[in-house]
Amino acid sequence: MQKIMNMMVNSCKKTTELIDKQLFTPLTAKEKMQLQVHKSMCKTCTAYEHQSKFIDTAIGKLFTGKLKVNIKMPEKKKNKILEEIKNS
Amino acid sequence: MEVIKENSKIVLENWVHQFSDELFSWALYKTSSKETAEDLVQETFLAAFHKIDTFQGKSQPKTWLFSILNNKVIDYYRLSAKTTKKTFSISENSGYELSDGLFNETENWKNNDINPIWDQEEELLDNPEFNIIMQDCMDDLPQKWKFAVTSKYLTDKNADEICQELEITVSNYWQIVHRAKLLLKKCLEMKWL
Repeated sequence: MQKIMNMMVNSCKKTTELIDKQLFTPLTAKEKMQLQVHKSMCKTCTAYEHQSKFIDTAIGKLFTGKLKVNIKMPEKKKNKILEEIKNS
Repeated sequence: MEVIKENSKIVLENWVHQFSDELFSWALYKTSSKETAEDLVQETFLAAFHKIDTFQGKSQPKTWLFSILNNKVIDYYRLSAKTTKKTFSISENSGYELSDGLFNETENWKNNDINPIWDQEEELLDNPEFNIIMQDCMDDLPQKWKFAVTSKYLTDKNADEICQELEITVSNYWQIVHRAKLLLKKCLEMKWL
């Protein structure tokens, strides 16, 4: 029985790998089943799936969020660029 | 010939006055480094000056300048992914060790508790302080890993092209992203209280 269980049920480490893998490539039927079985028994991994998606959203937000402030480039640098162009 | 060159200079000078703040803000946002942002904007204008004859007025000057800048940003990340000097980020080996450290010897979670920070997620995303911590946590990642998780937002390239740039295989790519996420989870749980 233990043997069958081990074959069916992945470790948490392996499960988190599958959770992130499925965002890149489709899982095999076996992997899908292993993932479902494990999640049905493990709250922490179910939570990880949630967290993984959240982290994706958060990273996206860092890069695609609207720029709220317009930061001025220091005048000194601006003048240096103008100087460089003049001397080109 | 001299006349054309002088004209280009005048055009460029106008553009510097008009667009440098916007370009700078964008570069700063993308690189989180004031110095880098300044340099990238300078490079952008100089590149624009040298190839101004390829600008045919088909697009807006601003659009054209931004496309040059975006390429500079990508080059910057490509370079910093390949060189390891002057970074505070950890090595890839430490990255593997740290992410392995979340699991015990039977490869199950060392800590099964679900951190309460994940309950408030909706609000979190709009919280500027959280985003600063998120950025900090990203900066702690090994350079290559950081590039792996951010590249899809920095470029229009598909996964295959990104892998080529990082000199890794596609299967390596998702594994790196996976490891990076484990570290981000750990970092957020530690830093965000």
